[in-house]
Amino acid sequence: MVLHIFELLRRINRVIALVVGLGLLVCVGYVLLEITLRRFGTSLGGTSEITGYVMAVTTAWGMGFALMELSHIRIEVLRTRFASWGRVFLDLLAMLAMSATVVIIAFRAWPVLARSITNNSRANTVLETPLWIPQSLWFGGWVWFACMCCAVTLLSIALVLQGKLGAVEGKIGIRNEVEDELEQLR
Amino acid sequence: EMLSVVGSWSNLPLYQQFESPFWTEILPEASNGTLEVAMTTHNEMGLGVGDVFNLLGDGVYDVAMTVGDYAVADAPELEGLDVPLVALDADTARAMVDAARPMVNDIFRDRFNSHVLAIAPYPPQIVFCNAEVSGLDDMRGLKVRGSGRMTAKLLEALGAEGVNVDFGEVPGALQRGAIDCAVTGAGSGYNAGWWEVSTHLVTLPLGGWDPVVTAMNMDRWNSLDAETQELIQTTITAEFETPAWAVAQDALVNDVACLTGNAECPYGDARDMVLVEASEADFDAARNILITEVLPDWAARAGNDWAQRWNDSVGAVVGVTVDLD
Amino acid sequence: MILYIFSGLLGLMALTIPVGIVLFLLGFGIDQFFTPFPLIRGLGQFVWSSSNSSTLIAIPFFVLLGEVLVRGGVAAKTYAALDRWLSWLPGGLIHANIGTATLFSATSGSSVATAATVATVAMPQAEKLGYDPRLFSGAIAAGGTLGIMIPPSINLIVYGFLTETSIPQLFVAGLIPGLMLAVGFSMMTVLICMVRPELGGESRRYPFPEMLGVLVHLIPIFLLFAAIVGSIYRGWATPTEAAAVGVGMAFVIAAFSGGVNWPMLKESLYGTMRITAMIMLVVLGAAFLNFTLSSAGLGRELRAFMEGLGFTPFMTLMVIVLIYIVLGFFIETLSLMVITIPIMVPIVVGLGYDPIWFGILMIVLVEMALITPPVGLNLYVVQGARRGGNLSEVMVGAIPYAVLMLLMAFLLIAVPDLALWLPKNL
Ligand code: NA
Ligand code: NA
Repeated sequence: MVLHIFELLRRINRVIALVVGLGLLVCVGYVLLEITLRRFGTSLGGTSEITGYVMAVTTAWGMGFALMELSHIRIEVLRTRFASWGRVFLDLLAMLAMSATVVIIAFRAWPVLARSITNNSRANTVLETPLWIPQSLWFGGWVWFACMCCAVTLLSIALVLQGKLGAVEGKIGIRNEVEDELEQLR
Repeated sequence: EMLSVVGSWSNLPLYQQFESPFWTEILPEASNGTLEVAMTTHNEMGLGVGDVFNLLGDGVYDVAMTVGDYAVADAPELEGLDVPLVALDADTARAMVDAARPMVNDIFRDRFNSHVLAIAPYPPQIVFCNAEVSGLDDMRGLKVRGSGRMTAKLLEALGAEGVNVDFGEVPGALQRGAIDCAVTGAGSGYNAGWWEVSTHLVTLPLGGWDPVVTAMNMDRWNSLDAETQELIQTTITAEFETPAWAVAQDALVNDVACLTGNAECPYGDARDMVLVEASEADFDAARNILITEVLPDWAARAGNDWAQRWNDSVGAVVGVTVDLD
Repeated sequence: MILYIFSGLLGLMALTIPVGIVLFLLGFGIDQFFTPFPLIRGLGQFVWSSSNSSTLIAIPFFVLLGEVLVRGGVAAKTYAALDRWLSWLPGGLIHANIGTATLFSATSGSSVATAATVATVAMPQAEKLGYDPRLFSGAIAAGGTLGIMIPPSINLIVYGFLTETSIPQLFVAGLIPGLMLAVGFSMMTVLICMVRPELGGESRRYPFPEMLGVLVHLIPIFLLFAAIVGSIYRGWATPTEAAAVGVGMAFVIAAFSGGVNWPMLKESLYGTMRITAMIMLVVLGAAFLNFTLSSAGLGRELRAFMEGLGFTPFMTLMVIVLIYIVLGFFIETLSLMVITIPIMVPIVVGLGYDPIWFGILMIVLVEMALITPPVGLNLYVVQGARRGGNLSEVMVGAIPYAVLMLLMAFLLIAVPDLALWLPKNL
């Protein structure tokens, strides 16, 4: 049951990553179009502004995906010397620290969006983008990341209580980037 | 009482000559040691310029000062504090700012949860060009980095293309031709070495005066007793605001001398940029565009109530009226 | 405060808490205990302003570019082509390894993917041709490190973002030292193989028409490199725009190699999202720590601390180099960079050194960290691709190249113009 939920979350995040990734491709296209138009003396304008928003949104929504793929960097020099229960303890500790931090960030992100809504803020540029649009996408990403952190932590604790230490390590341990990369190539 | 204070750009004379001495020496002394100050600047803290007053309202620090134009994303009506081309000398500029003061007080109270203590000027914002220009007409079609939204709109109305470039990236952008001109204070441009990458200096204040607003977090202000409030307000007006305005006119003359070598430079080596003084006709044309296009556009952004207030206060002082629909 | 940062940093990382989170936690601590401001109230605004950056979007663009080239099979074809051109040198195939690594480092930011590709293609041939496994695998591991020095480099973008130095200038500054290292690696190989020919395997010569034939696979990559680097150097495009152009060209090249399809595109996007989020968590954490440290007046405290030690600037610099070498044994490139930048850069700049130059010096030192045990990612990549033999063989093979990097670091200290001449004169 717990493992099924893990798998479901992983799949949802892969879909999100794909959607945001395609957004990134569209952004590449937009920049290319802008460069081309500039050659002909016209311009869509505002590329630096729009790429900035895309970056903030990409970053926020990529976080949860990277979490599920075990991609956030951890230093494993000591971890490898521990027995299985020791490693699981460290993994849980890492997840708790991560959940707490990300919840704080998401919590502090709300006033930013709230202010833009109440002030009806528009970017200090010629485009005058209403800031609530990019900021709500950005805020959503951090809330999603916070939810993912908490969910993963709770699910892992549930697995530990069921005594499935090996499964926990597979879900929140450290990813072997080298093996993955070589796996791709074979 | 301990006050945490965030100053404006630490490399510019306004901070070095006025802000820093006032907050770290004059005010603590005037309070006989009851007020202590911990001071840094927004660039030393690594803050984005648009965030300074937002964080002040959040209570991250007690006092902050920076250019009002940096905050217009959250308060379009604040653009009315710094309308270009209506004040050509420091006295008029001060009269304009004084007239706008009640509006600014309300804006800071409602938008940034803070109390305005003082408004002091940066030197007028003029135009550095890495291109042959002899008047405003030549700027048609050029790519110009403005500072602030109203300046950018004015440039567009004049036929130039407004471009957003960070202050620090301007020299590179000028050098490689990504932009042709850039607007900033004459002193800032001298200190940042813009004369190395540009040739012509147009002394029309297309960028206004970039008034720097000093404000205190509202909750912090209300927590002070009336006596302390009175002390801070009288000292800052007498010892900071007034002297800062007093040197503003001379500063422009000296800065232009340093950039063009047309007179003695009191700060260091004089440079040899070509001085372009805008003609009467240029000025009239620019001002006409300001009144017929840029200001009505602003009125639409900020709302007619603010535009009406502006007409009754600032407009009355400088003799300009924004048409309302 | 300095003691607090160092012990906190090492302690929390030893607990295997993710590096980005460690940086945020330390920032919270600095804010709580060492600054007069409740900075945490501005956390949301800070994260928004830092990630809303048209400069940083160059990172996902460059990652995507590398993913498309490697997954589209372009890297493997380039390797085969370089082999035709370079294998007559003493040390044969090894030069193709270094060349491929150099070219791909020039176009992508993902050094693990590049090293993995080269290693997978090269290893079977190396066994067939009788190369010494130590030298061969050591050279691949070392070649893979060039990725972060030769522009465009994601690490240099991160450095520029965190220290507010110009990224185009950093790119220009990295070019000469990067190419010198690549040439140095090749010369080192020639030298070793001339002294001990039995290590070098068979030298082969290919007929000239065949060499001309494979140019088809080399020219597009050279063009891509020239387009990106050239347009940044000449100031026609920002690094972000150049990266977008690079992505476009990478798709065209991969399409001609027959490598563009939906599964490959999907994997490239997944890879890009993963690496971008991974980098950004660390970068945001470092930026926040940076912000709290400068608000706490770290600069003043560091200056007082350094004056108390009574070191000359040069001695201080030597101590810093030593710290990087030691930390480099245990901590990998990007983490090593972002955790040290907030502390080291103010010291070095305070001593009067150029921040652009120090960025390049730091890159050389963190490159070394990729091939020094026990934590040296490229060593594991190559070992993984070998499927057999002992890890210590790769480590021994990499030693000459690590020594060369150290020499490069000292050369940069002795002759700063190696990095600074180009930015000054372009
Ligand atoms: Na590179
Ligand atoms: Na290492």
